[in-house]
Amino acid sequence: MSILAEINKAIGAHARQVERHVESARKDPVFRRKLLKRWKDVRGSVQTVTTPTGLKLPKLALPPTEEPAEIARYLYGEGLPGEFPFLNSAYPEMYLEPAPNSEIRIPKSEIEEPTRLFAGLGLADDTNKRFHYLTGQQRTVRLSTAFDGPTLYGMDSDAEGVLGKIGEGGVAIDTVEDMERLFAGFPLNDSNCSVSMTINGPAPTILALYIAAAKRKFGAGVVPKLRGTIQADILKEVQAQNENLFPLDASLRFLTDMVEYTTHHMSRWYPISISGYHIAEAGSTPIQQAAYTLSNGFTYVELFRKRGIDINKFGPRLSFFLDGSLDIEYLVLPRVCRKIWAIGMRDVFGADARAQMFKLHIQTSGRSLVAQDFKNNLTRTAVELLMACINATNSCHSNSADEPFTTPSEEYVRLAAHGQAILLEESGLFKHMMNTFGGSPGIKHVEKAVEEAILAEFDQIDRLGGVLSAVEHRYQRSQIQTAAHRYEQQIHSGVRPIIGLNRYADTKGEQAEPKVVRTPLGKQKRQVQRLRDFKRRHAKQSPKALDRLASVVENGGNVFAELIETVETCSLGQITERLQQIVGCYRPTV
Amino acid sequence: MMAAHPPIRILTAVPICDGHDSAINTVNMELIRHGVEVIYLGYHRSVKAMVRAAIQEDVRTLGISSYNGGHVEFFSEVVKLLRKHGAGDIHVFGGGGGTITRADEVVMTRRGVDRIFFAGTSLSEIVAYVKKQYGGQRKVALPSLSKATHLTNRQLAKLLTAAETNIPIPSLKLQPPTGGCRTIGIAGPGGAGKTTLIDELVLRHLTLKPHARVAILSHDPSGSVSGGGALLGDRAPMIYSQDDRVFMRSLASRGHDGGLAACTRRCVQVLQRCGFELILIETVGIGQEAVPFRGGLTDRTVLVMSPDYGSRLQLQKIAMLDVADLVVVNKSDLGGAKTALSEIAQRLESNQRGQQLLTTVAKQHRNAGVDELFNKLVNP
Repeated sequence: MSILAEINKAIGAHARQVERHVESARKDPVFRRKLLKRWKDVRGSVQTVTTPTGLKLPKLALPPTEEPAEIARYLYGEGLPGEFPFLNSAYPEMYLEPAPNSEIRIPKSEIEEPTRLFAGLGLADDTNKRFHYLTGQQRTVRLSTAFDGPTLYGMDSDAEGVLGKIGEGGVAIDTVEDMERLFAGFPLNDSNCSVSMTINGPAPTILALYIAAAKRKFGAGVVPKLRGTIQADILKEVQAQNENLFPLDASLRFLTDMVEYTTHHMSRWYPISISGYHIAEAGSTPIQQAAYTLSNGFTYVELFRKRGIDINKFGPRLSFFLDGSLDIEYLVLPRVCRKIWAIGMRDVFGADARAQMFKLHIQTSGRSLVAQDFKNNLTRTAVELLMACINATNSCHSNSADEPFTTPSEEYVRLAAHGQAILLEESGLFKHMMNTFGGSPGIKHVEKAVEEAILAEFDQIDRLGGVLSAVEHRYQRSQIQTAAHRYEQQIHSGVRPIIGLNRYADTKGEQAEPKVVRTPLGKQKRQVQRLRDFKRRHAKQSPKALDRLASVVENGGNVFAELIETVETCSLGQITERLQQIVGCYRPTV
Repeated sequence: MMAAHPPIRILTAVPICDGHDSAINTVNMELIRHGVEVIYLGYHRSVKAMVRAAIQEDVRTLGISSYNGGHVEFFSEVVKLLRKHGAGDIHVFGGGGGTITRADEVVMTRRGVDRIFFAGTSLSEIVAYVKKQYGGQRKVALPSLSKATHLTNRQLAKLLTAAETNIPIPSLKLQPPTGGCRTIGIAGPGGAGKTTLIDELVLRHLTLKPHARVAILSHDPSGSVSGGGALLGDRAPMIYSQDDRVFMRSLASRGHDGGLAACTRRCVQVLQRCGFELILIETVGIGQEAVPFRGGLTDRTVLVMSPDYGSRLQLQKIAMLDVADLVVVNKSDLGGAKTALSEIAQRLESNQRGQQLLTTVAKQHRNAGVDELFNKLVNP
């Protein structure tokens, strides 16, 4: 029996426990009295807010009932916002406007300002400039880094056959000096600055490069202060995104080494972002996205625990990343994920409250955007954003309308950021009440159906022997591929309307194309020159550094701790190659 | 002379540093459903790897799906390198979401790319294009076999195309087989790990013998319901066999039973005369009754199994267990491997043919079981 069978059991047991509370509320006078007392207290503590139009509303919307059974079902089954099982939200007050004298229950730096825009283009200097442009409009410094293809595959810019790909779709990073250029002028040591890096296969080397760059600028004391996230989700790479460098076992070991290190030395860092985004972008159904993400998450927890890392220390540093698209499942998907995660962490792994929270970043769906009549993408993204906020996501990225063509241009990046601001700051939907949308019969129905479908997927994976064994059977991959094919056929047959593409299409012929951002070949060659120069300057030290790394790998030491030293004199590609010589290359699955 | 209309063979792939395989998988499935034989090279593949595969497979066309940018350079390099190898008859087309612009298309087609499909193209449009553009007859100019050990990939590929489509190769019989050439047949059910094992054997051979050349003849089934198409996917998981010293050819069974294709013997005869030290033949995923290597086709035969074959009764029915020289239980790290091993050992003992039984974990880097298999099989 894999861990997923235990999770399924725990969800069932939780549901029965809720029913027992409901029963007690009906039949047990002592229980009922306590319950009603608590309900009275909760209701009494709800503040009243006044909207700009003068309407008075409760800050927290509670079900309008005095019926003890209903109260029990709500409090134990859903929980108040920020309370187990966190159906409504991970924290009590998500997007509320800060009132001058309101009591904030969590430290301010823990509140994620939801806007976090993904950027990366050209060389490190170019992206650095873009970062400064983006954060000029933000209250806090929240950087999110996209890397180019060679970097994502752990290759150097001077590798055979990659010219043309350097700085395309993301920033080119080869060395610690590139990393220094990338974050020049940003206070990485400041608690208001956090950096997210979207990279997986070479994640340990990239984080080591980041740490080394920060140490060069701010000294060794900066390490415990670093705040941010690295994606490092290698399971979804095997299942969907295909950016692997090493055999899965070796990748999982390097990851665990990194998590062990950050748990002990970088308590403010999120060392893994367990991601459904790429699973969904590869064409999965919403249910598959949720089920694979959660089951991957539980698999990591099991792995880190086996290493002896304290679940209550690493548990709060796990975060999640989901795709928000237009299917109705997305109206509730994150809510259900929060609940399943909390129950699993508490009842199967014995984690404490802070480690039970499913902290979530949502990105609107890239797959849902189309090139035809591309300005429609603004509306698609707006609807997706709305659903993400209804689900109280902790942070959000809204895609630019021109993404089907190119690295987003400044014009559409700005519109995407403003979309979030309009929703959260301009509209009254989220800033007055904590939970405007929770609890409608419609939402409850979809929730129930989604939860059942996710648990059925868990059951399938469990029958295959758990996540790792299912991966070996290509289960998740083949399911995703089948779903992707069905999606395309549905577009073709019109079952799935795409406005401007298969419905209300503009028949007037050629459509205007937006401006495309490319990295000129001359600039790409400059990166190759920089790298060669770095290699030349470190030609003496790098072989020794690589030997030391190799011996740590062979002797079973913590590879990540050594990588932080290796990157001082070696490039990303040199490190990848050496590691591949020892542990082998990733064998692609199709 | 030419068979009326053999299925169209095309190669598809995703460029280096690009893992976006969702679109290509969908296009592959659709092409196969419409009778096309698709050899899928996989994602994150270099220009060199694509051109090598296209030439060895002697496909009509190479379809590239590119998302991560750099497509103008990449497609142009592919066309250039094909022409450099005298393989200008292999066409190139492709697509890639919205990252390829109309302006890029103009440059790319000027440099020799047939056609770029843009985002929003329907699957049926792509299928119709491939069938119309690449479905016609093709002239085959046969090179002579008299200098068979010095054939280029391109010439050898043309000989195999002739063998595949039943065109006589007059010089074949005049030519003796290469001395010291070993032909090894590798059979087993789908999912046992045959391809991985072959790639690991190739790695060891290339490392041990710095000048040796290896040939792989790999089979996949043609669909009977799907209009005769086939997904020839054994190149995609290969790591070490993507090498200039390895010649690989993928064959669809085209309705032939028993794990191989009707043309397999002719193809093997060609390869045996072309200077390879080692020829590895991989069957389709075979059923219990299949005995693919008959009539002296191979020097040695291997049956690869995984521990999850079912009950002991199922084991009794596997015909290959009676004739294989070597039986390999791969994935021996899985639960149930011990039971499997003792059941198979017992079965082989009762045959009294001195068959050998080995265990491997082919997915493991530097696996000792694979080393042993290599020593017994290739390097005795």
